[in-house]
Amino acid sequence: MTGDPVLSVSGLTKSYGAQRPALSGVSFDLHPGEVLCVVGENGAGKSTLIKILSGAVAPDSGSVVLCGKSHLALTPREAMALGISTIYQDVELIESLTVADNIFLGAERKGPLPLTVDAKAQGEAAREHLDLLRIDIDETALVEDLSAAQKQNLQIVKALHRDARILIMDEPTSSLGYEEKRSLMKLVRELRARGIAIIYISHYLEEVFEIGDTILVLKDGERVATYRREEVDVDLVIRSMVGRDASLFYRRERVNLGKVRVEVRHLAWAGRVDDVSFEVRAGEIFGIGGLVGSGRSELVGLIFGMNRREKGEVVLDGLPVKASGPAEAIRRRISLITEDRKKYAMLGPRSVAENVTLVHHEMRGGPLLDLGEEARLTASMVDRLRIAVANQAQEIASLSGGNQQKVIIARWMLEDAELYIFDEPTKGVDVGAKEEIYKLMVELARAGKCLIMVSSDMPELLSMSDRIGIMRGGRMVRIVENVDIGEQYLMREFIGV
Amino acid sequence: MVDARRKGPRGSLLRSQWFLLLVVVLLTSAFTGAVNPRFFRVNNIVNIFEQISTLGVVASGATILIISGNFDISVGANIGLSACIMAMLMKANAPYPLAVVSGLGVAVACAFFVGFNSIVFRAPSFIISLAAIGVFRGIALALTQASLQTIYGKFEALGSTRFLGVVPLIFVVSLAVYAVVGFILKFARLGRRIYAIGANERAAFLSGVNLNGNKLAFFALNGLLVGIAATMLLSRVGAAQPSTGAGIELQAIGAVVIGGTPMNGGKGRIVGTFFGVLLMGVISNALNMLQVSPYFQDVTFGLLIIFSVAVSAFSQKRGRAAA
Repeated sequence: MTGDPVLSVSGLTKSYGAQRPALSGVSFDLHPGEVLCVVGENGAGKSTLIKILSGAVAPDSGSVVLCGKSHLALTPREAMALGISTIYQDVELIESLTVADNIFLGAERKGPLPLTVDAKAQGEAAREHLDLLRIDIDETALVEDLSAAQKQNLQIVKALHRDARILIMDEPTSSLGYEEKRSLMKLVRELRARGIAIIYISHYLEEVFEIGDTILVLKDGERVATYRREEVDVDLVIRSMVGRDASLFYRRERVNLGKVRVEVRHLAWAGRVDDVSFEVRAGEIFGIGGLVGSGRSELVGLIFGMNRREKGEVVLDGLPVKASGPAEAIRRRISLITEDRKKYAMLGPRSVAENVTLVHHEMRGGPLLDLGEEARLTASMVDRLRIAVANQAQEIASLSGGNQQKVIIARWMLEDAELYIFDEPTKGVDVGAKEEIYKLMVELARAGKCLIMVSSDMPELLSMSDRIGIMRGGRMVRIVENVDIGEQYLMREFIGV
Repeated sequence: MVDARRKGPRGSLLRSQWFLLLVVVLLTSAFTGAVNPRFFRVNNIVNIFEQISTLGVVASGATILIISGNFDISVGANIGLSACIMAMLMKANAPYPLAVVSGLGVAVACAFFVGFNSIVFRAPSFIISLAAIGVFRGIALALTQASLQTIYGKFEALGSTRFLGVVPLIFVVSLAVYAVVGFILKFARLGRRIYAIGANERAAFLSGVNLNGNKLAFFALNGLLVGIAATMLLSRVGAAQPSTGAGIELQAIGAVVIGGTPMNGGKGRIVGTFFGVLLMGVISNALNMLQVSPYFQDVTFGLLIIFSVAVSAFSQKRGRAAA
């Protein structure tokens, strides 16, 4: 690209807590009329980058230079005023207002009387905007009657109306059908021709190669490379998205596998999980990989009874598990360590002891608690899992992420389950605790338990799993033995190229 | 973590809300007593204890519900309805046990009604109970034809008995209720469910806790306590009307909040509620002793509740910042 960049980012760094930074020293330039595609696997730092550019979070260091002016940290309002608009799915539109009203929201054309709006003028101007981009939406329609694709188009129009010079599009095609994708691609080209700079984030490499001018590859928060589209092919991009240092892989002890204990057959739910079948053997760690939104968490939630399955069955040791809810799953000795601790697992304001013994008290014992037993059980778990706590009465919310996770794992290990489901077992966990959690998982496998592990962390998936089930669009498209396969192979399967 | 270890027993005492409340109670008493020595007369102090007994029982029930993340603001109307039914039965010469059991049954049914509807329609219990006020009061008005149900000379023992001539029986009952609720919260499985559901409903569900059944149990338990409060009130006053108990829900919720239980649940102790109730009783009495207009008493309580909510909001914010 020639000419001055409209946006120049350098050395952007952001970390949350003590773990490795979510974004580390990322730099790039964006020129008017350029489509910059940002690719990378889950957790590569794409969302953090968008959040910084849209002003949702402040970077720890680095600079954002917009049209030659430097900004240290943007607020959402500033970002918008400076012409950066982020197109999210479905948000920022008022469903009960018309298309025209939404375009002019916050900047209404004043009517002849005070406090009134000139609806006619707004309608005409809206029509003009829509026609200009050849978008076929009735300006008088209510937003609630629009399709997902139309809403997205409307957001783009709205952004342009606010004089956006840079559009950020985050996975814009993930909920669109084929025709809608085609028309969005067309729209993007139209915008590019008008000199709008676009940051386009997508998992779908075919789209990236179709419309991208430049491809920025992120991995583990760092920029791997920036390619001109003509100089690369899909292979090279995938190779640079993955491929990590051997030290990031954990060497686990192998366990001899026993007979099949868990059978999942034809599970389906709400179009998010589509006819999934697999088996888990005694001592096996069955990994489940896939992109965010591929239905992994929904699948394991379904096995646990978090949602009512529409179809299919789960069999544990020859007996079907009724689909009546988590309580039934727990009685059948199934555990689910959820991905989102805060939302689904932690009793934030309660003590470590209460958090550890929650399931225990629910599943056994009479109306009264045995507090002596509770203290003993908690102490033994704190000891066994080496949880760093001041005392058992400490609130779980005040622990570090790794220790919180260990408390939740302790909750389930206390009940001695037969099937352990780990959804992102080491998310937000420091390196030391990570390894300890891996050891615990191997220990469970050695005891003949079955483990299902959902993970977005590719080295984790490859280090821990005996077999890996690959999810794409709600289906388990392939189950592979974890021998001689690498990150590139998995990435290809996740994306489907 | 370092901070938690450094915090000795004295630090936690100073930080606990009930200790602060005790200090405020003592200071208020000292000040009022200095201005008006009648405050410290035995008769007045007994009076305070008598006055806070009913509120204490209602506030104990409110503590359970608020910790579990629920509200029942229809308890005042519930007291009115169940007290009227008890009074009418007693007027008709029904045996006391029958009348009292009926009253308790009505109170439990009313509270159950609130809980049931809030679960079935997935509506906040706050709104459902707000609507239930009209239902309960309307039924009471229809039953009594809006007339005062007097039972003078009957059923006085509960309200007028004083042990050793000074300790009111109803105060002892209220202490027993605090103790039972405190016991449930600390030692019973039900108590754990109250905290768990209040702290994180989804986590409780995924840990096998039956949400609906337990919530109904919380409401029913609250209803039982409301029924006991209605019985105490009826015996003390000797009459009931549909508006009996009106407004007690705000005092009860206020006392719970003043006692350090946050409005968003998951936390809280009965000892805090006890001192919250005591503080409200002492301040109310002190305002009388200082001859403050009764209108300003309402203003005072309103401001006091706002102040405690502010204190709890600030302490939570600080807690989050530290975490």
